[in-house]
Amino acid sequence: MNHDIIVETINLSKQFGALVAVDNVNIKVRRNSLHAIIGPNGAGKTTFFNLLSGNIEPTSGKVMFKGSDLTHQPVHRMIHHGIGRSFQITNIFPNLTVFENVRLASQALEKSNFKFWMNVSRLEKCEYRTWEVIEKVGLKERAHAPARTLPHGDQRKLELGMILAPDPEVLLLDEPTAGMAAEQVPELLALIQEIQKTGNKTVILVEHNMNVVMSVSDIITVMHLGKVLAEGTPAEIAANREVQTAYLGGLYELNV
Amino acid sequence: MNAFFRKNLLSAATLIVILIFFIAAAQGMNSQDFVITFLRGLSVGAVTFLVASGFSLIFGLLDVLNLAHGTLFMIGAYIGWTVFVRPDTFADLLTPFALILSGFALRDMYPLLSARVRLGLRMRRILPWALIIVSVLLLGLILPRYPIAGWNLDNYAESPVTYSFMASQGTPLPPPTATFDQISPALAIGGLLLASLFGSFGLFLFDQSVQRSPRLSWRSYAGFVVLLLVGLIAFIFNSALTAFLLGLNANWLFFIAVIVATLSGAGLGALMEATLIRPLYSRPIYQLMLTIGLSAIGVQIVQAVWGRPEFVMPKPTLFNGSGASCPATSFSSWWQGNCSTILLLGGRVRTYNEIFIPLIGLLVLVAVWILLQRTRLGMIIRAGVQDREMVEALGINVRRVFTMVFALGVGLATLGGALAAPSMGLSNAMGESFLLNALIALAIGGLTSYPGAALGSLLVGLIQQFIIKYGQIGISIPFTSIVLKPTPPIVPASTVLLMVIILLIMPNGLLGKKE
Amino acid sequence: MQKKAFSFFHNNRASLIVLFALVLLPFIVGLFEGASPIVVWENQGGISKFVEGLGIEIFILALYALSYDLIFGVTGLLSFGHAMFFAVGAYLTGIALKSFALSLPAVIGLVFLAAILQALLFGLVLPRVKGITFALVTLGMASMFHIIVTSSELGNYTGADVGLQGVMVPSFINPANERLRFYFVALVVLILIYLLYQRFVNSPTGRVCVAIRENEGRAKMLGYNTFAFKLAALMLSSFAAALAGVLHALYQPIVSPNVADLSFTVTALLIVLIGGVGTLSGALIGAFVYRLLDFGLRRYIGENASFITGTIYVAFVLFIPYGMVGTWRLKSFRVAQGWRRLLAAFKT
Repeated sequence: MNHDIIVETINLSKQFGALVAVDNVNIKVRRNSLHAIIGPNGAGKTTFFNLLSGNIEPTSGKVMFKGSDLTHQPVHRMIHHGIGRSFQITNIFPNLTVFENVRLASQALEKSNFKFWMNVSRLEKCEYRTWEVIEKVGLKERAHAPARTLPHGDQRKLELGMILAPDPEVLLLDEPTAGMAAEQVPELLALIQEIQKTGNKTVILVEHNMNVVMSVSDIITVMHLGKVLAEGTPAEIAANREVQTAYLGGLYELNV
Repeated sequence: MNAFFRKNLLSAATLIVILIFFIAAAQGMNSQDFVITFLRGLSVGAVTFLVASGFSLIFGLLDVLNLAHGTLFMIGAYIGWTVFVRPDTFADLLTPFALILSGFALRDMYPLLSARVRLGLRMRRILPWALIIVSVLLLGLILPRYPIAGWNLDNYAESPVTYSFMASQGTPLPPPTATFDQISPALAIGGLLLASLFGSFGLFLFDQSVQRSPRLSWRSYAGFVVLLLVGLIAFIFNSALTAFLLGLNANWLFFIAVIVATLSGAGLGALMEATLIRPLYSRPIYQLMLTIGLSAIGVQIVQAVWGRPEFVMPKPTLFNGSGASCPATSFSSWWQGNCSTILLLGGRVRTYNEIFIPLIGLLVLVAVWILLQRTRLGMIIRAGVQDREMVEALGINVRRVFTMVFALGVGLATLGGALAAPSMGLSNAMGESFLLNALIALAIGGLTSYPGAALGSLLVGLIQQFIIKYGQIGISIPFTSIVLKPTPPIVPASTVLLMVIILLIMPNGLLGKKE
Repeated sequence: MQKKAFSFFHNNRASLIVLFALVLLPFIVGLFEGASPIVVWENQGGISKFVEGLGIEIFILALYALSYDLIFGVTGLLSFGHAMFFAVGAYLTGIALKSFALSLPAVIGLVFLAAILQALLFGLVLPRVKGITFALVTLGMASMFHIIVTSSELGNYTGADVGLQGVMVPSFINPANERLRFYFVALVVLILIYLLYQRFVNSPTGRVCVAIRENEGRAKMLGYNTFAFKLAALMLSSFAAALAGVLHALYQPIVSPNVADLSFTVTALLIVLIGGVGTLSGALIGAFVYRLLDFGLRRYIGENASFITGTIYVAFVLFIPYGMVGTWRLKSFRVAQGWRRLLAAFKT
């Protein structure tokens, strides 16, 4: 077993009726890398992602994590193995405060979750961790505002904070910049890069905007029609003719 | 085919199990008992379906769990009874109803009027209140004095129970013709019209936000003119209308009663949706509380107006004969003698309860199915059940569709009530029991599935009737000599148990869509 | 230390005043009638005994509504079978005392076990059905229970349609002779459960329950086995409801099968909505308002009371949507908004 590989998929497939959304995908993700998965609309990225995070069960194939098979684990076990994921559509607890949102995330790994007679603020480690994460994503001033009152960009940051809080080894980020104003994108990308570098984390990122990933990722996998079209460093991908046709065929501009 | 089978394996298995139970149930029962019980099951199923289908349409499209649906079903029964047994009351009520509604039909004209009226800010605030107070005062003065032939709950001889009994005996009612002795007719008519205009304009003025200037066309006045004419004609020819209705063939009168019940149910539904349900789409739990509250109010109104005792509405003459040729042996002899019973496979079957109601149920099933499948409205409804946001995004006036669906759903329930009144009788509790039946039927068939509503209702009706029958004849348990007689509480228990089991195996019901 | 104690009193002064008033209430009412506190203490006061009785009913209702608020308001589970939780406690107590002559502690132990069992029964269907289907399945289970207790086969134990009567209440808590003591017992039980629930809501478990109400899918993704948390809430709720049932069986001369009916679950729902969903204290205030309203209307208006209660619910939904406690916290009535919503009907 190669210890350098942290996440691996083996012949992963998913069929919805007649549609093969993900078709025999084999991907190896190296430890401590920032691995981007891109592709035009309908390439099967999100389905592939849902398979990785255990939200849907594959038709066939396996998801391996550090050499063990995680394919049929229930969703709520994933974070306990060290895999956290964010969502493309902001998925937070809208009526709870920012602080509550993050604390719930960091509390997940606590041992004393069923001590219903204890005040939650007595989980000091959890409290400390929550403040740490809120500071890191830059939401300290808004910590006690209900999450729904946050502007969209800040909600994306909160989403990121919520997967950072339990300190997973692998972060699965589903279009972290979706719907963000263009001037906020570099800020968030820098944050992601910093987290990955300083925390020795593996980041798997789905994007359909190619420009976003070119500058930050170590490895890029291009998916097209459910299959892996190409894999390589940003420079290799940029030079790949097939990728260009796939994107152009999908009426997508590629201005690297 | 194979894939289809595999996907529906669970439903198929469940259906087969139910079928086996059903065949087992048919064993040990002679054929005439079986036919009668089966037809009774169809009858209960048909009425349940009328309640359940409306409930399911409303829930599917609007996401509103209308717990007042049973009460509305009951109100339909009482309205049908009133028109059928006391057509004179109906004729008397027509005028005030039409007049009070007429003002609201002028809705389109009010923006113009309010733009013309130039008033200070303070007057602007006072005016709507003043108008409404005047309107309420007028109504309060006129309505108690307005003569309406009715009944007297305190006097048994003049109570609905007695009238109902007299009508079923064929005794002509001595209608105490109500006359204008407390108020002059012109004052009453004018006052009601004025109250309606003031009231509707006052309510309109509350809503300051309406600023659009409408284009007035003949349509804006049409509703008003029609209502006014209906009111006036019903007023002028009141005695002629009453005499006509009283002299009418009971079949036609029954037909009119059912139509009136259905239409007033639809109107009530539309009003309910527009005023009470619509504000609460964003808060589903509150709709529950609201419909529970409305349900309590409805039961109270029924108790106050029609009283607590149970009574049975007479059947139309087409199903009420008992001449020499009865029970009829064939449908042609039934047609000649209008027999109340008919011999089918050796069993005496009541024509109204066990033949007519299932047929109407089937007719409604097909009619609504065609409406859903073949018309534009139906297409919008089906699409809306699938994905409401998408339909809204297509720029369809969903609000109006919602109101129409609510009206349709409640109209189906009141139709069911009016049809059930001659066979199951009228009581204050009928709403609740049929609501429970409908809920169980929908849970079995699938909450938002129209065919599911039909299948579930059918199962509920059949199972209940078979269990009741076994309560009488006893059921012999295979391989033993024990004869078990299910006691009355087992009847609801059997369907509830079926519901729990089916929901546990298939959370979406037999025909519900998978998530 | 002193300062901490002072701030405790300061922060909870409203609750403490209410508590103090409730403790003194029977004596004060007695004074109005001219009965000295000693007379009240010896359970001889006429009107104060009546007020105590009304108070006990309110406490029982409040305890029951509180338990519904925990699963409905806090955890977000819509159950139509909550009456069963209450009825099991009531029937079990009645049967155990009457037919098996068990001692009260043994009965409470038994009820505790039954509470866990029935929560597990509801928990059995939890992973399979969601939302309105869960409501229907729980309704089905409660109806089955209702049918069982009304069936004539068990009439010797349950009293069938009539209800369970002739329960021998231990004399030290007999509501006829020792009503004041019963009043304080009910009050203490209610306060203890209320404090326990307050703790629960602010505990790690409770926070996850709130998260489940807000967005269950996300809570799962965060790594919580939501089923376990919902089950925990169900158990705690079932326990309090069954305890309310125990008090009901001890206090009322007859346990009617109506307490297993859907309408009794609806009562809990209405109380919680009147008080404010998910606020806990709303359930207490709601029970107070509901019982007094019911009592007053029945007394002064009679048969048509439920017409008015129905109208009041409808008005509540339209104009005070956040309940009494919720509205108090928001410090704003939604009357104007309610009008606007109603009048929006006139726009096409």
